[in-house]
Amino acid sequence: MRLVREPDSILSDWRARALRVESEIGKVVLGQERVIRLLTIATFARGHVLLEGDVGVGKTTLLRALARAIGGAFERIEGTIDLMPADLIYHAHLGEDGKPRIDPGPLLKQGEDLSVFFFNEINRARPQVHSLLLRLMAERSLSAFNREYRFPHVQVFADRNRVEREETFELPAAARDRFLMELQVAMPTDDTARRSLVFDPRFHNVDTLLGEVQTGILEPEALETVARVIQIGVTTSPALEAYVMALWQAVREPHAHGIDVDNVDMARLVQGGASPRGMSYLMRAARVRAWIENRDMVVPEDVRAVFPEVMAHRIFIDPVYEMRRDRLVGDLIAGVFARVPAP
Amino acid sequence: MRAPPRLPAGLLLLLAPLFAGAAAQAQVRAVDLYAPRPFGYTIGDTIELSAEIALDAPFRLDPASLPRPRALSYWLDLRDVRLDDRGVADGVQRYTLHLAYQTFYAPLEPKRLDLPALPLTAADGGRRIELSVPSWSFLMSPLREIVASAGGTTMALRPDMAPPRIATAGTLRHLGVALIGALLALLLLAWHLGWGPLGRRRTRPFARAARAVTAELAPSTSSPPAYGRALVALHRAFDATAGAGVFAEDLPGFFAAHPAFAPVEGEVRRLFAASRRLFFGEDPAAAARELAPEDVLALARRLRAVERGSA
Repeated sequence: MRLVREPDSILSDWRARALRVESEIGKVVLGQERVIRLLTIATFARGHVLLEGDVGVGKTTLLRALARAIGGAFERIEGTIDLMPADLIYHAHLGEDGKPRIDPGPLLKQGEDLSVFFFNEINRARPQVHSLLLRLMAERSLSAFNREYRFPHVQVFADRNRVEREETFELPAAARDRFLMELQVAMPTDDTARRSLVFDPRFHNVDTLLGEVQTGILEPEALETVARVIQIGVTTSPALEAYVMALWQAVREPHAHGIDVDNVDMARLVQGGASPRGMSYLMRAARVRAWIENRDMVVPEDVRAVFPEVMAHRIFIDPVYEMRRDRLVGDLIAGVFARVPAP
Repeated sequence: MRAPPRLPAGLLLLLAPLFAGAAAQAQVRAVDLYAPRPFGYTIGDTIELSAEIALDAPFRLDPASLPRPRALSYWLDLRDVRLDDRGVADGVQRYTLHLAYQTFYAPLEPKRLDLPALPLTAADGGRRIELSVPSWSFLMSPLREIVASAGGTTMALRPDMAPPRIATAGTLRHLGVALIGALLALLLLAWHLGWGPLGRRRTRPFARAARAVTAELAPSTSSPPAYGRALVALHRAFDATAGAGVFAEDLPGFFAAHPAFAPVEGEVRRLFAASRRLFFGEDPAAAARELAPEDVLALARRLRAVERGSA
């Protein structure tokens, strides 16, 4: 270990807490161990997360459970087509005395302690709202009432469903790039989990269910520091750096590495993307994963474990193939990991 | 020449032995003798006669009354006696008796000789009757003149016959087939065990890896970078065997898909732990503690043996 004794014990203490967060969420959300693990990684990498999935698979429950477990101030808002940026900042109404009143909106209500901001159905909101969110995510600040508000601990979770396309606004690439991960939440594949989700009355009322989750396991104010210690404490060797560079190269030029995806012209599949910011996010997430796996070094498995969620939405492919995007990008990433040798 | 091979000796001969009564007469229907030409025999010739005997059923020839092959006189041998039972038809039991004689008579001039008659017995259980195969005569001729005249012209000896050649083509063909078969079997074995250049083929990644490891970890050239290169060679072999990158976390899946490698699971895990320390922990000393270079060499050989199926 290169760290001095104190950070070492901090890290192991926080690792235990991270595992407890996972087990607490796992009590109320069944069959989503991988998603929970990735959410924990995102939390300790201080990254924002976009969840995608069908309706009713438990995205909202998952995020509410996570917010409870993290602790700190929590706000949420539903995306609608008439939602305007101002609605996030202030709330105008007539007071009981008949005078117009301006109250802080969801973003400002909790002040600068806001730790989890949860944006439901983000693709129903207009681009103006997206751009506000972009700044919140990128700079953790926003301007209102002639001053700048800072949210040093905020972490944005958003979700969207892919079922409806009417009255929705696709997120701009710049906004998607700000998300550390895009997580696909699928139905649990485990039969017993499915059975109890349907038949166990415990899962019928979400509010009482969430009451089982222990609150405030993590201290939002400390998370930033812990995240920094993790990033310093977990090392990457030159061999791993070379491996990640090779992965990056292979994603951008798959045809040069002999990667083949069925019936696709590999020379034109990847148009761009996999930005340097994306790669740095990738390494942040990989370091956190190594730490959760109780290692002080990043190994290729860590990179592989977080790669699809961190990188898939940053790879821009030819519009011809856009409709088959999920499968093609998945195959591309699988091909990259099959072809690029490590160490 | 219209000489039938067998001439009936006399015409149909109905034998009526003097001592046989009228009852016995009726029971022997016929004894017909068929014989070859009656002349032109020289010393050592064989004469084959056959007699067809017809009896009233239920009379049957008594096998004990058949003559046994033996020397009949100083010049005549009975060589073979064979009786064919031709069954009963229309109340008549028929036999064919084959007789083979050989004559050793040395006549000075053509001379008529007799083959004696053969007495036989037939019985129907209680009654017995006698019958006889008639005698037969033939002419024997000398082989040479009585007094030897002067010897003929002396002949030059002809050269010895060349020894006959034994046919060997078949043997040679068999030899060739066997040799080709043996060669093919040897090639198959070499291919399977990955001997020599056959070890370089794509389906034998561990054979190539073992070669590379041996080269890298030879005692004279062993060095930290060589240790790393040896590990990399083994990792490439694992990747090639699995068809995708194999990391430490993938080992359970790898062993499930390739159960042949299960016996070396412990060492393989140590290999992956060591390479983790070396490449990602930057701690060569710990890596060498985990798996010494000699162990890497031994492991590479064991993996090669597992791959060729001889572990």
